[in-house]
This record gives sequence, C-alpha cells and structure tokens, in this order.
Amino acid sequence: MIQLFHVTKYFEGCLALSDISLRIEKGECVLLTGSSGAGKTTLLKLIFGSEHPDDGQILVQNRNIARLRRADVPYHRRTMGFVLQNFKLLPHRTVFENVSLPLIIRGLSSFEAKRKVIEALRAVGMEHKQTTHASVLSAGEQQRACIARAIVNSPIILLADEPTGNLDPQLTTEIAELFKKINARGTTVLMATHNRQVVEQLNGRILRLDCGHLISDQGAYA
Amino acid sequence: MKRLWYFFREAFMSLRTHRASTLIGIITTAFTLTSFGTFLLLYHNVHNLIGQVQHNIQIIVYPNDAIEPHMLQDLKKSIQADVAIDSLTLISKTDALKDFKDQFPDEAYLLDGLGKNPFPASLILKLAETIPSTDAISKLVNRLQQNPNVERVRYNRDWIERLTLVITYMEIGALIVGGVLALASITIIANTVQLAFYTRQEEIEILRLIGGTNLFISIPYLIEGAIIGGLGGGIALGFLRAGFEFFKHKTHMLNVIGGFSSVFEFFPFSLSLLIILGGIILGCLGTFTSMYGWMRFRL
Repeated sequence: MIQLFHVTKYFEGCLALSDISLRIEKGECVLLTGSSGAGKTTLLKLIFGSEHPDDGQILVQNRNIARLRRADVPYHRRTMGFVLQNFKLLPHRTVFENVSLPLIIRGLSSFEAKRKVIEALRAVGMEHKQTTHASVLSAGEQQRACIARAIVNSPIILLADEPTGNLDPQLTTEIAELFKKINARGTTVLMATHNRQVVEQLNGRILRLDCGHLISDQGAYA
Repeated sequence: MKRLWYFFREAFMSLRTHRASTLIGIITTAFTLTSFGTFLLLYHNVHNLIGQVQHNIQIIVYPNDAIEPHMLQDLKKSIQADVAIDSLTLISKTDALKDFKDQFPDEAYLLDGLGKNPFPASLILKLAETIPSTDAISKLVNRLQQNPNVERVRYNRDWIERLTLVITYMEIGALIVGGVLALASITIIANTVQLAFYTRQEEIEILRLIGGTNLFISIPYLIEGAIIGGLGGGIALGFLRAGFEFFKHKTHMLNVIGGFSSVFEFFPFSLSLLIILGGIILGCLGTFTSMYGWMRFRL
C-alpha cells in the first residue's frame, strides 16, 4: 500500500527526514509518534504529495509519488483523505457544503453526492448538523466534519496530522474511536500524534521518529 | 452540471462576501475603461469626420472635347472599376452651361457673344469611404492623365496627402494609447484580484487539500474577474454615453464646433458590446495573470 525507500528530506538545509524506509500494508493502523519537529508532518506531506523527497522513492498504491507530475498531484490526493489539527473547514459554508466539496471536485451527480455526504455525516454522528455553518460548530464538531470530508470519497488511505491536538480528553476519546471504526472498515489509517491516550486507544503499529530518524517500529506486520 | 452550478455560486458568493474589493475592482475597471473609451470615442468621431471630409473631396476629370460617346463610356467604366472611387457623375457640356446660368443669372449675357458652348464636359469622382491611400489616388490620377481621351485632371493633392497622414498618425496614436491603457487596465484588475486572492489563500489551500486541480480552483475566480470586468465595462459605457450626450448638448447649444456637432455619433451597438466584452476579457486576463504566478510553484 505505502512503501518508502531511503527517503531523505531537507528544509532549507536542515534535515527533516533521514533515510526512512518502511512499508505499510492495506488496512493497517499506523501511529507516527515523536516530539515536535521529529518529522511526523513531513512524512505525511511526502505521502500526500505536498512535498517532494530530496532523495529516495515513495510508492503509494504502486505509484511513485517522488516522480509524480505536478498536474497528477490532485488526482493522487483524491485517493486519500487528510485530517488536520486545525480542521481547515470553510467557515461560511454549511457542514453539508464542506463535506460535499471533494465530491463536487470529482464531478459526482447531486443525487450520488447527497447520498455519500449523508452516509459520511452519519458515520461521524453529524447528520443533524448538516445545515449548520462550520463557523458556529464546536471544536469537536469541526473535527468530526473534517473527518467526514476526509472519508466521503471512501479513500483507501486516511492520513491525519495531530487530529486531537486541539481537543479535550473527552473529545479526544470520541475522535480516536471514530478513527478506530474507520480503520475497522478496511481503510488504512496513518496518524501523526503525540497523544498517549490516542496511541493506547487505537492500539496500532507505532513508528517512533526522532530528529528525522525512524528509531523504532513496534507492531509491524510480519 | 453540479460543478457548473458550484463555479457560478462560488463566484457570486465571493463577490458578495468580499464586497469592498469587488467594488474597488468594478470602479477601477470602470474608470480605466472610461479613459480608454473616451479616447476610442474621440478616435471614432474624428475618423468619421475625416472620412466624411475625404468623401467630399472630388477629383475632376475633363475629357477631350472631341471624345466619342462610346469612348466616354469606356472611360467611365475604367474609372468606376477603381476601388478608390465611390461614385462618378458626368456633367455634360449642356449641364455645365445650364449650371452656370442657374448660379450666375446676371452674368449669363457674357456667353451670348461666344455662340458656341465654352464649358467642357467633366466627370466628378468621389473617393471611397474606406479611405484610399495617397498612392492609390496618385496611381489613378497618373493613369487618367496618361489616357489620350483625358484633357486634364484636377484635384487637391496636398490636401489629400495631409489628410491621409493625419489618419495614419491617428491610427498609430490609437494603437499606442490603446495598448498602454489596456495594459494599465490589466495591471489594475490583476492587483485587485490578487488582493482578493490573498484574502482567500486558506480557502484555496483547503481545495488543494481535497484534490482540487488548478483549473477547478481557478474557474470561479475567472468568472469573478469576468463579472467585475463586465460590470466595469457596462458602467464605463454608461459614463461614456452620459458624457457624450452632455458634450453634444453643450457644443450644440454654444455652437462651438460649427456645424460639426451634428456629425458626432456614439459607438454603434457592436462597438458598445465590444467595450463590455473588453471589460470581461480584461477581467479574465487580470485574474489569470495574478493566479498564474501564485499557482505555478505550489504543489
């Protein structure tokens, strides 16, 4: 599903990732841990196609991301969902409009789009909030809407960068539970987090990064 | 269809949400196009005026007195075939005498002693409205002068040459001023759109995050630019019409430009549409230039 071969990345001369090689299988739940600046976000961005590696190769569903043409990046992104710490919802749009955006981009019919949006909102428990504007949602609701938007396309891979960073312990438990459910449906989940509660609750494979180096890999598939 | 609806809804929503920058965009486009339009209107009217003056310039051809009627017909046909000529009128010897007597009845007695009609027949040539070059007129005159059936050709060469020169300079001037004003419009609109663009970076980032292509992200902005440009063009057209009517009214009342004020005309419908279309194109170009630089280096 995802393979990294000796991936190295620099940011303005500073080493962000050093010689990372790993393999993530379909349906895995992988947790990227490590202190701030360890390279977790960089690794996600490389897989997502928003950064290019300075060295090494990245294969996502047998497609070499390192050699992806600029014009193909959006199509690569449509195959995965991305959940961010700061939600990134359009504040002046309703929850329904926000969640339906990836489907509009794909050019789905109104009927099909509506069905999928309702399905995604139901999965995150936000069906009743579909006409509410994103700006008036609570932090937990915003993150749920963001997850709904990430899964509405039924992605094979779901990337998440500190999705519980802005949430209290109660909401963190709820969001972590959501990710667990999504993973249980067969979606590969790759989450960057340094929240111990989330790590324990998801009980997935743990990749520990430190200053750009992969220092441990616990619970990998044999 | 859903995408199309999305593009237009986004464009209109954005125009409504960012009222201030939209208004600035429309006003700047309107003012820029008004200045461009004023110049264009001036050019249009002077060009018309010169065309009319030129149309009234006559070349008078005097055939030989002894010319046979069929040769005169051939001469007329050969002149009429020339593209520089709009119309041709034959004034026969009898007509010329009659005209003289009509115009100067008191002097008619002078002709009594002559016995024979002293007036020559003449062909009055009017130039085509699509202003022919001096070369074309010279060639025609030379050809006529070399014709053995032609006695003499009379025309005001200097006047025609000067007029043609004025037209050429005006056209070059129109190209330069028009080009400069069009560039200024594009720059102003590009800046306006870019300002709006910076305020919506977050929104664009989100669209990129969920797999929006550059084209998908750009289309609502292009529609927005086209609407701003089109509205600006429409307002400019209104300003120009009002200014034109005011000017025409004033000059007519004060009789400043003699009888010429009645000759002035506003843009024909097609040219009016072209101003609005120009606004739309400028709006799109402005959006495109500001977006191209922004999107080029982003993944």
